[in-house]
Amino acid sequence: MAVYDLEEQEQLDEIKTWWKQYGNLITWIVTAVAVALAGWQGWNWWQRNQAAQAASLYGALQVATMKGDFKQVRDAAGELIEKYPGTSYAGLAALMAAKVQAETGDAKNAKAQLGWAAEKADDPGVRDLARLRLATLLADEKAFDEALKQLAAEPSSHFAARFQELRGDILLGQGKAAEARTAYENAIARHDGARQGDALRGKAYRDILQVKLETAIAGGDGK
Amino acid sequence: MFDLVRSNRRMMQVILALIILPFAFWGVESYVRNVGAENDAAVVGGSKISPQEFQAALRDQQEKMRPMLGAGADPAALDSREVREAVLESLVNQRLLALHAVKTHMTVSDAHLVDYIRSVPGLQENGQFSKERYEALVANQGMSKEMFEARLRQDLAVQEMVAPIAGAGLGSASATVWVAAQLQERTIAEAQIKPEQFTGEVKLPADAARTYYDGHQKEFETREQVKAEFVVLSQAVLSEQVAVSDDEVKARYQAQQDRYTRNEERRASHILVLAAKGAPDAEKAAAKAKAEDILAQVRKAPGDFAKLAQQHSQDPGSAKQGGDLQWFPRDGRMVKPFEDAVFGLKENQISDLVVTDYGFHIIRVTGIRPGGTRPLEQVKAEIAAELKGQAAAKKYAESADALTNTVYEQSDSLKPAADKLKLAIRQSEWLPRGGTLPPPFNHPKLQSALFSDDVLKNKRNTEAVEVSPNTLVAARVVEHRPGALRPFEEVRADIERKLARDEAAKLAAAKGRDLLARLEKGEGTELRWGETRKVTRVQAPMLAPEAVKAIFSAPAGKLPAYVGTALPSGAFGLYRVSAVAEAGAPAQTAANAMRQQYARTAAEEEFNGWLAGLRERYGVKVNKAVLDAKDR
Repeated sequence: MAVYDLEEQEQLDEIKTWWKQYGNLITWIVTAVAVALAGWQGWNWWQRNQAAQAASLYGALQVATMKGDFKQVRDAAGELIEKYPGTSYAGLAALMAAKVQAETGDAKNAKAQLGWAAEKADDPGVRDLARLRLATLLADEKAFDEALKQLAAEPSSHFAARFQELRGDILLGQGKAAEARTAYENAIARHDGARQGDALRGKAYRDILQVKLETAIAGGDGK
Repeated sequence: MFDLVRSNRRMMQVILALIILPFAFWGVESYVRNVGAENDAAVVGGSKISPQEFQAALRDQQEKMRPMLGAGADPAALDSREVREAVLESLVNQRLLALHAVKTHMTVSDAHLVDYIRSVPGLQENGQFSKERYEALVANQGMSKEMFEARLRQDLAVQEMVAPIAGAGLGSASATVWVAAQLQERTIAEAQIKPEQFTGEVKLPADAARTYYDGHQKEFETREQVKAEFVVLSQAVLSEQVAVSDDEVKARYQAQQDRYTRNEERRASHILVLAAKGAPDAEKAAAKAKAEDILAQVRKAPGDFAKLAQQHSQDPGSAKQGGDLQWFPRDGRMVKPFEDAVFGLKENQISDLVVTDYGFHIIRVTGIRPGGTRPLEQVKAEIAAELKGQAAAKKYAESADALTNTVYEQSDSLKPAADKLKLAIRQSEWLPRGGTLPPPFNHPKLQSALFSDDVLKNKRNTEAVEVSPNTLVAARVVEHRPGALRPFEEVRADIERKLARDEAAKLAAAKGRDLLARLEKGEGTELRWGETRKVTRVQAPMLAPEAVKAIFSAPAGKLPAYVGTALPSGAFGLYRVSAVAEAGAPAQTAANAMRQQYARTAAEEEFNGWLAGLRERYGVKVNKAVLDAKDR
């Protein structure tokens, strides 16, 4: 072993005492950070893995939708939602299956799918959309009160106009023209609010709302 | 030093571990990130869209728009702020979707990707997937297979993610309300109260025009205007300056003699009886006999050559055309014996049997275009123009710098530059600031230079601006008229007319409202109603939108209903709605189309809402600077 000069020896001693005092703590911190990072990576890996498995089921669901194989649609969507409810695919699969089922007259299953997505889908946008579509199906069945109940909670502001529009449609169906009018007026206000300063975008939709508003006015006192 | 390391191994290990950790988890990237420039076009949730990407997308979009706008389109229309905004918006949305797909671990399985690639019709040959075609496609895109597949995988993942969200159209309650409203039929009659009836009653206070003038001065301002003088340097201008001597023309003519020389061309028809070179002699003899037989027929009736060729010729390409081979020169494109025969015959002469490697030919020459050299006189103008063009191009290259420098160095006049380059100084008309200007001032850069402080106030030259390829323009302001308020007396009559019109319209509306109130009470009026007719929202001829809105907002509960509204023409419209009918069965096709239209619009609204949600979630920063069109 080499011989250190005095100064170096002193430094070494200093470092050694410092290490004795804090070494343990540092080792623990480093270990904790490493474990946390590894955990985070692991969690990501697990999510990716889940998503990859969900992806292949989702692919099968799409093929079944295109082929019009309704049993396969129900099975694939069911399996996806049951096994991988935490993935984004689950909500999307519910929307997709519900559409096929609603179009083929299987409203019962369609409502079940949408009901699940409205509660449990991971994407807030998908939750709102599922709720809106569920309410539409209920309105088609003339279950107006249930439909209004679905629309009661305020959605994210981007869907507010659609929610108000459907509320208006339902109220009109119930013969409550004055309330429908208020709903349509709200819809237009929310739509204008969301499209501030961009007159062209969403104009076709605004025109639709305007026509519905006039219909509600005509159904009331006409003023 | 090394001893220090050795004796403190444990500590060194810890330090090393600390250095290694980021590598292990985030890769080398974590050390080299943050190098990117600050001038990104947009940042979408931490993912950057570079200005280059934006420019490339903008160019793509402009290429797509150009044919739609036609050839005479103003190039500025392709580069407007709206276009730029739309392009950036769509880039941002694409990026947002891709980002969301990644963050939520959306992907596409290998099997699905393979299925997709195999199913693309363009990649199939005879109904089977073709590996060669696929590889060619990938190479064509300038990508490796891995890159291509990764890109495709991402696109597919986004597509599949978007499909259920954008695919609204579920249920019918909402669509029905709208479709029924659109197709509802109302029976109406119209009566208009015209403002003209009231012009006599209008009494304006004496100072009304003045008050209006004082309150609406903006309407009576004229724009700031300038008159400019300018010089144009272009190849066209320069080609008038250059002279081309006859000697130069002659020298060019001689140097490029072959350009003006054309070889003789002939047109011929033939009848071929096949007899391949290596065929057995018996076969050859039979062919020859057949050919001689045909030849005899041709000689007997030369007018039937085409018909005989169609019947007998074994040259599948020409037989259908009656043996015709079109024009060809003597350049070896036909086999030697054939060529020799063709160029040895007179027009319309029929050959004897000609033997080539293909077999026996019977040839007829149907046309001769003699060759020769076009005389100098004929091509002189053409050559002179060409020489002038070349000289002008060369001169332009030299003069462009001279112009740019001279107008800058002697910036108080255009004369030095004009003298130096022998250019004419031209005068413009009055040019309004911010208005639509005639060329060359319609170029945005020249326009803004003309109204810049330096040019307007300090009376300097503009820089030389390239307003179109190979055309430079420099200008200076010679006369300036600041924006001004038109004097009251000049506009007084106009204002009074307008006020009288407005007042008459007000009186008409008051009268109309009064009548409407009486109608609603069921009192009689002296109104003359127009013809009774049926209208729907989508089919309401001769009705202003205001009128349609009023008619269809009229309460359907108690008929007849009366409504009224002021019209854009100044008149007040009164409408009697006497019947309301829902659409009948014949409108069913229209209703279906409308249902689809509703579904599309609602789906777009929902998709945009969902995108707006993503935007909020990930955050989008747009660099406004890229939206302003800069140098083009």
